[in-house]
Amino acid sequence: MKHLIFDRLHYGLSNVLELRQKQHSLTIANIANADTPHYKAKYLRFDTLLEDAVGNAGEMRRTHTKHVSGLHGTTQDPVVSVLDPAPWVLDGNSVSLEREMVRLKENALMFRSVTKGISKRMSLLRYAASDGKG
Amino acid sequence: MNILDTLRISASGMNAQRVRMQTISSNIANARSTSSHEGEAYRRKMPIFKSIASDPFGNAVDKSLARVEVVDIEKSEAPFRQVFDPSHPDADDDGYVSYPNVDLLYEMVDMMTTSRTYEANTNAVETTYKMANLALEIAK
Repeated sequence: MKHLIFDRLHYGLSNVLELRQKQHSLTIANIANADTPHYKAKYLRFDTLLEDAVGNAGEMRRTHTKHVSGLHGTTQDPVVSVLDPAPWVLDGNSVSLEREMVRLKENALMFRSVTKGISKRMSLLRYAASDGKG
Repeated sequence: MNILDTLRISASGMNAQRVRMQTISSNIANARSTSSHEGEAYRRKMPIFKSIASDPFGNAVDKSLARVEVVDIEKSEAPFRQVFDPSHPDADDDGYVSYPNVDLLYEMVDMMTTSRTYEANTNAVETTYKMANLALEIAK
């Protein structure tokens, strides 16, 4: 049985949404700790995480019809990257407010585009489910 | 940690910056206080910030989320500014008056970074709020 409605893309989108929310809370914590000595900035590496989220990297190929399909990727425990402070920083804090603000806005924009994507898919489904009258 | 819990982290950041602003105000107001209830001239006050893990038992992301707290307000041990003025009531036996170890230049720069960080936190709150709203609109 092929998943037509809630396919890999659907789960991929919700996984990406979850990742964006996690990145958001990391940025928030970085901004709150912008002046805390020895605090190190934390962030997620989306270039590697997105592959796992959509499930491209470890897609399972079924050799038997009764095998369970490897439908969606995982975002349960993403690796958190830690930024070390530059050697000339006196208080050991590696938060750059400018970088964090850009990351905050960029992330919010990506969050917005993913929610838009999900909404569009939903409205297409609604249209199909209402026999093209919705 | 859900999206609205992150508001609490922003709140801790704003609270810390507000305490810092209060110490700066106190320093500026007392820049020329030659006596205090501590028996000497006013000493410059500095808040000590510490990051505290918000959810030590969560997953990798939750564990690395930290709020900020003011754990102490320290007094600066820098020497007082000595001014020769024998007629001053707080002058010592040699005629020198100890003025506070407050440097207005430092306070002004601190004030600028404080207000910038506070602003960043309010901005973060606004973005969190917008994102939470967007998530609610998915089903519309």
